[in-house]
Amino acid sequence: MYEIISTILKYVFTIVIYIFIYSIIRLIYLDIKSMNRRAGISDRKYPYLKLLNRRDELNFRVDESYVLNGRKTIGRLGKNDFVINDPFLSGNHAEFFSEDGIYYMRDLGSKNGSYINNVRIGIDAVPLDNGDKIQIGQLTFIFVQDKR
Amino acid sequence: MKSYTRFVKPVYLVVLINLMGFLLLYMYSKPYDNITIFAGFSVIALICLTYALILKLEMGDEYLFLIVSMLMSIGIIMLYRLGRDLALKQIIWLAVGITMFFACYFAYLKLNIWDKVIYIYPIVSYILFIITIVFGGGKRGATNWIAIGGISVQSSEIIKVLYVFFLASYYTDPDKLNNITIAFKRPNIKINISRQWIFIALNYIFIGFLFLQRELGTAFLFFGVFIFFLFIFGSKLTTLVFNAVVACAGLVFSYFYFYHIRVRFDTWINPWSDISNKGYQITQSLFAIGSGGFFGTGLGLGRPDFVPEVHTDFIFSAICEEMGIFGGIAVIFLFFIFAYRGFKISLMVNETFDRIVALGITLMFALQTFIILGGVIKLIPLTGITLPFISYGGSSLVSGFISLGILQAISRKA
Repeated sequence: MYEIISTILKYVFTIVIYIFIYSIIRLIYLDIKSMNRRAGISDRKYPYLKLLNRRDELNFRVDESYVLNGRKTIGRLGKNDFVINDPFLSGNHAEFFSEDGIYYMRDLGSKNGSYINNVRIGIDAVPLDNGDKIQIGQLTFIFVQDKR
Repeated sequence: MKSYTRFVKPVYLVVLINLMGFLLLYMYSKPYDNITIFAGFSVIALICLTYALILKLEMGDEYLFLIVSMLMSIGIIMLYRLGRDLALKQIIWLAVGITMFFACYFAYLKLNIWDKVIYIYPIVSYILFIITIVFGGGKRGATNWIAIGGISVQSSEIIKVLYVFFLASYYTDPDKLNNITIAFKRPNIKINISRQWIFIALNYIFIGFLFLQRELGTAFLFFGVFIFFLFIFGSKLTTLVFNAVVACAGLVFSYFYFYHIRVRFDTWINPWSDISNKGYQITQSLFAIGSGGFFGTGLGLGRPDFVPEVHTDFIFSAICEEMGIFGGIAVIFLFFIFAYRGFKISLMVNETFDRIVALGITLMFALQTFIILGGVIKLIPLTGITLPFISYGGSSLVSGFISLGILQAISRKA
């Protein structure tokens, strides 16, 4: 009897240990992805969004900052540039883009809306200034642009 | 679907391993023994409590402890199968270790003296060495234990941490170590010893003491870390070559003059010639690893007790026999990702001292694992040293947790 259980469990043991290793490596992989994004901040060439929320109060993965180098979309769906699993975000929530050195934000028809300095914005692009407060879902960001 | 995979948290898998392992052990002990259940739950409680605290107090990197707790679970289950009393003692040491983990975490963060007291580390270490050699006892030819109030402590395990701090405080700011000028009156010459050579000399004193204690594994470990540091911090090629030559000369010398070192080499090159005596340990280890096959014999169905010292140095053979090569590879994998985490913390943190301490601690763990696993599978000559977090041994476990606590504190700053 013991032999049978032990023989079965040895396979289970091995499988569980490897699932564990897999899940750790997966989490580490996500970690490195966010590390690369953060590394871009140091040159200060591009403006970025800085998170104001405390990350540990949110039960989903979100970065401390998001660099806006080019056109970026934000939302819950995987095809967005910044994927954040906030349940209050829409699948495709908002978009950031630049034209002639000026950065704009526009809402992509989200359910809960996007706010710049507590004013709800619509589908039309709104120019962003350094220090603007951006609220989407549960998240609050500050738009940081070093003007030299 | 996406949220489902996210909720298989690694910590649940550690708990699952413990539940299955201790259930199996409960059935294995013939008159059913309720202490097994109690031991199992105390291990699970300790792991969960520590993990919850790490998350709650935002103690930085959460994966380090997860990886370690998995290694520890495998180790304790294996030890319980080898001998109940060993495992129960190990669980008590685990509790002590976790207390030390938190203590060192806060001590490292709150106190800000660690890089300023460069002379303290070697002095304390040498005093500990001398106390061990004079008053200490030991077994298997090594003198490495000091008894403090009925508990024997392996001094080299504490010195390992001190050594990392010593290296780190030197490389943070080499100027803290003074140049020494020796002036002779009679033949009017002055010898100026630069700080670099003093540093190297101090390192060799560490290694020399370990040699005197016949702790070859730890001596090898310290030398390995030392060479890595010389290499990483861009020492001149001449310094590296000098140290390599000294090491080789020392090795050749000791091969011819010390019997116990010659035995190590002979059993490494051909253990089969003296299988019943000198080569017994290593050949039994090889038999154990071989008899396991891919998935092992199953817990409690192998005979790892044929291997001498199976609970400390040779625990990897027992794991390979009963959990199979896949189990063994999993252990190596776990050490891999642990080392990777350590290096990443070292890269992310800003202050030089923290960086070097993180690097040193990670190198210590990585090299220690390499030395003992290499020895057990006859890749390199066997030197007695524990497998971090898995082998039986209070000093080793507590020292491991002290290092882990410091690494955790550094990851908080990153």
